Amino acid sequence: MSGDPVIDVRGVSVTLGGRPVLEDVDFRVEKGDFYAVIGPNGGGKSTLLKVILGLIRPSAGTVRVLGGTPVERRHLLGYVPQYRTFDFSYPVTVGEMVLSGRLGHIRNFPRRYGQEDRDAADRAMATMGIGDLAGQEIGALSGGQQQRAIIARALVGDPEVLILDEPTVYVDAPTGEHFLDLLVGLRERMTVLLVTHDVGVLSSRVTKIACLNRRIFTHDTAEITGDMLKGAYGCPVDLIAHGLPHRVLGEHEGEERP
Amino acid sequence: MISVFAYEFFRNALVAGLLASVACGVIGTYVVVRKMVSLSGGVSHAAFGGIGLGYYLGLDPILSATVFTVAVALGMGELSLRQRQNLDTIIGAVWAAGMALGILFVYLTPGFAPDLFGYLFGNILLVPREDLVLMGALVAVILLVVALFFRDLFAVTFDEEYARVMNLPVERISLLLLVLVALTVVMLIQVVGIILVIALLTIPAAIAREFSSRLGLMMALAVALGAVFTVSGIVLSYLLNVPSGATIILVAAGVYGAVMGMRTLFPRD
Repeated sequence: MSGDPVIDVRGVSVTLGGRPVLEDVDFRVEKGDFYAVIGPNGGGKSTLLKVILGLIRPSAGTVRVLGGTPVERRHLLGYVPQYRTFDFSYPVTVGEMVLSGRLGHIRNFPRRYGQEDRDAADRAMATMGIGDLAGQEIGALSGGQQQRAIIARALVGDPEVLILDEPTVYVDAPTGEHFLDLLVGLRERMTVLLVTHDVGVLSSRVTKIACLNRRIFTHDTAEITGDMLKGAYGCPVDLIAHGLPHRVLGEHEGEERP
Repeated sequence: MISVFAYEFFRNALVAGLLASVACGVIGTYVVVRKMVSLSGGVSHAAFGGIGLGYYLGLDPILSATVFTVAVALGMGELSLRQRQNLDTIIGAVWAAGMALGILFVYLTPGFAPDLFGYLFGNILLVPREDLVLMGALVAVILLVVALFFRDLFAVTFDEEYARVMNLPVERISLLLLVLVALTVVMLIQVVGIILVIALLTIPAAIAREFSSRLGLMMALAVALGAVFTVSGIVLSYLLNVPSGATIILVAAGVYGAVMGMRTLFPRD
């Protein structure tokens, strides 16, 4: 890979409520990566994303995003928060919710949507296969449809990097597989970074994997090595429990990598 | 009954009720969708401190309540944003402290004790013409601000974290909303009084939510419902010769109960 990394995390530590959540995390995402960070629940995955998004300030270390600070650049990121971080009983249609993802690009006062914004919203909903749901209230959708709407909102701002927090946790396995395929289709347009504790949905689709459990273990390939598993205590238990597709494992090295 | 409309106090009461309905429909919608009901309760009770302060300093109580309540709302917002304090706890403290301050100021004011009952439970039949002008101006300001910041207010009340990621001015918008709530509360004190404000702020919006899937529609419906409740409450209270504020609230609560009952019997599919 050439050029500066799109996300550059160096020596980052985070302490929340006196408890260390991240310790000396070094982590780089290059342009065009399809990067998955796996690890157990409570391992600091969401915290890592929030540090990248400038929502949590690290107690040590530096974070650079697209050559600037997270706060300077985060409107160029698309963020899919862990499902149900907001209230689905809010009176808003899918179309309005997706459209609101453009607000970071609208500098005029008062903020008004233009034709360009509406076209972008239509494209994002079409990409996620929810074009026909635009007029529906979000509370009336199924879990999978709601998750598509949240991803569409992240896509509507044409982000440089799409960041997803547990995108498959509330959907059934086939839908999760389908989401991953959708994300693979987006790879030509943007870098993708996702975190998940559910390794079952991963496969040869990702280009890089890191294992995070307070400390991060990276290998810069799509393999999970024995060192990473040993290092990130708790990870292997999850891996086995979820039936990891073996082509991601080290022993099949070089066989089916993308 | 018709003859009562010839009296200016009655026409003033109706105008005051309609103006209050506009404010409570629009701002009450945000209060309901953002779940700020107890916050609004804290702000409205703190307003009593402003009324007492007005008496003590010899100022117009509503004017001093306006300044005081806006200041309290901003203070609560700052505390919860900066100090990461539990907002719920702050509300409880401000709620009681505001009332205590009001009582203390009124006690310290020499001379005749004012009609506190009117401020606590409202007396819309005594709203003077000058106050209508002030209420009209407040409603105009509230509507203008909501129109200008409609998208920002939506983004922050819907998903604060995502609004932050989009680099919208989340802090300033949150404080702006608190100021709007404070202004609305002060206006509603005239109509139903400090203790009953919460009901007029939440019930019309809560019923409107049942029948609307968009924020703007919910606001319009809440305004219409508020107008129906205040006008029918004023007329009923006149006919039955009972307090107006309490009648307005009981009409609203009765309709709310009926709607909830209907929803239980005939759930939405």
